[in-house]
Amino acid sequence: MAKGVKIVNIWKIFPPKVIALKNINVEIKPGEFFVILGPSGSGKTTLLRIIAGLEIPTKGKIVIGNKEVVSAEDGVFVEPRDRNIGMVFQNWALYPHMTAYENIAFPLRLKKLPEDEIRRRVKKVAEALGIADLLNRKPAHMSGGQQQRVAVARALVKQPDVLLLDEPFSNLDARIRVTAREFVKEIQKKLGITTILVTHDQADAFAVGDRVMVLRRGEVQQVGIPEELYNNPANIFIANFIGDPPMNIYKLPTSHKIVESLGIPSEIGKEYGEVFIGIRPDEAVALEPTSEGHLEGKVVIVEYVGSRRYAKVDVGDGLSLRVLLECNADHGDQVKIKVYKLHVFASEGKRLTTITY
Amino acid sequence: MGKAFKLRKPGLLGSPFKILVLNFVAWIVGVLWITPFIGIFMTSIRPFREVVLYGWWALSPLTFTLKNYVDALFNPMFSLGKGILSSFIIAIPSTLIPVGIAALTAYGFARFSLPVKKYLFVTILFLMAVPQQMTIIPIFFLLKNLHLLNTYLGLILVHSSWGIPWITFFLRNYFSLLPVELEEAARVDGATDFQVFRKVVLPLALPGLISASVLQFAWVWNDFFFALMLIFDPNKMVVTQMLPRLKGQYQVDWGLLSSGSIIAMLAPLLIYALFNRYYMRGFRGWAMKR
Repeated sequence: MAKGVKIVNIWKIFPPKVIALKNINVEIKPGEFFVILGPSGSGKTTLLRIIAGLEIPTKGKIVIGNKEVVSAEDGVFVEPRDRNIGMVFQNWALYPHMTAYENIAFPLRLKKLPEDEIRRRVKKVAEALGIADLLNRKPAHMSGGQQQRVAVARALVKQPDVLLLDEPFSNLDARIRVTAREFVKEIQKKLGITTILVTHDQADAFAVGDRVMVLRRGEVQQVGIPEELYNNPANIFIANFIGDPPMNIYKLPTSHKIVESLGIPSEIGKEYGEVFIGIRPDEAVALEPTSEGHLEGKVVIVEYVGSRRYAKVDVGDGLSLRVLLECNADHGDQVKIKVYKLHVFASEGKRLTTITY
Repeated sequence: MGKAFKLRKPGLLGSPFKILVLNFVAWIVGVLWITPFIGIFMTSIRPFREVVLYGWWALSPLTFTLKNYVDALFNPMFSLGKGILSSFIIAIPSTLIPVGIAALTAYGFARFSLPVKKYLFVTILFLMAVPQQMTIIPIFFLLKNLHLLNTYLGLILVHSSWGIPWITFFLRNYFSLLPVELEEAARVDGATDFQVFRKVVLPLALPGLISASVLQFAWVWNDFFFALMLIFDPNKMVVTQMLPRLKGQYQVDWGLLSSGSIIAMLAPLLIYALFNRYYMRGFRGWAMKR
């Protein structure tokens, strides 16, 4: 059932000259949960719509399983209805004039399946998604979470080769979001269906994705498992975009005393006049002033996030770092900062090295 | 008066003086609008003698009678009942045919791209401004050559083609307000273009379709000009043609005429009352910005 998706040299140019996608190449494996992550305007939804067949690429081709579904070069275009895909839209796009049952049955009705077969399959998918008792309701009488489940049920009921999810969580409250993510991930693993999800929210991406592709202005920045993106960001954009609270990033001359005290390899100092240094708040700690550390500074504010405390520490020259607070300092107190991991990027953005202390 | 207070939202109207002026104007317009109707109604339910002697506005003596209505409906010379039947035979297909055709046309204009779409649409809008009187001579000869003069079919065809452009315009705007994601969802779910139209777009556009139908029905029902020019067999005449004949040859029987008018306006009124809910929704949807 599960089929892979090959995205080959996809370009999308909206006339006259908006380049939405620039030469996208990626291979999604059968049964994989693949996430396309990017800020708004990155082209992520355009890419999903091209896979669905709702948009036609300017160049390049898409292959689902062994079948070419679109190719600008070969002049191939398979209609969305013949691609055997299921799609959940951002606002769920449930048909408001139909009950949940009719919504879910809709794709099967179009296939002209016998009525008892339709009833059996709708019931089965509704039970699997925990919406069996909602089937007689119309979308207007359901909560956001319930509507989402109906939309997922409608996408799954025809047993598609690929499931496409366009920002499925963005219309849900923070609390329901967490349950909704778990639910989508569970269903995906249970059915083993190849799934492509588009989101602008890194928490969504990391919660559900087997692999994540980061897009920015139509260009692929990095593709990898979530840990890879977090631990080894390919460039300054990814470093900035991923991680919460965000990484402390400063552009400094290599001769700067902070750079020197962090001990960056001398060949980098020779080659580059300026570098970006990045320190994740969770990869550095503020300690008593008597302890050993790399940097010294004064606490500006202390914040509580969940069970953790972060201190914003002024380290001089107008620079301040947010780090984990592991002593009893309050604002105004002197602290030492010990860094565990340092990310170094060239001034044009690409990753140079990662130093672990 | 209750309505006036409802309007008093902050920033909308402000001072009581403004409310007073607004109410005054509204009442004047309302009274001017409804007075002729009250006159017709009063004339229709009183003996002709009373109306002529004292005027329809006099409240004494006040005799109530249905004689005018009975006479109008069962006039041996010009049966209004027959006219109503003819009007229904004309108006129902003249509503369904253009709404059906215009819905397809409008969906094409709203969602599909074709080479000269914009110019085509502008042409339709432009031709809507042409008055009936300018087209009647070619229409007359066209129907004559088709041997459709003095037939229901001929008049139905003329009304239908006259209705298609404005309904197309009306529905195109309505369709383009519908969320396009629903249509995309249907395409992904496996629907052909026509299935998308029939199973998703049409049911969602029901208020718009009903609004257009009510307007078209009322328009065809109230039409006098086309019917006058194209139907001349007294047995086939529509209700608006029957009405002037009720006035009599030597003296005008206002009672008969006004009761006939009220009977004639009942059908569009009933249709409007029946579909009022959808009708209003259709217009609200139309005025809504995306």
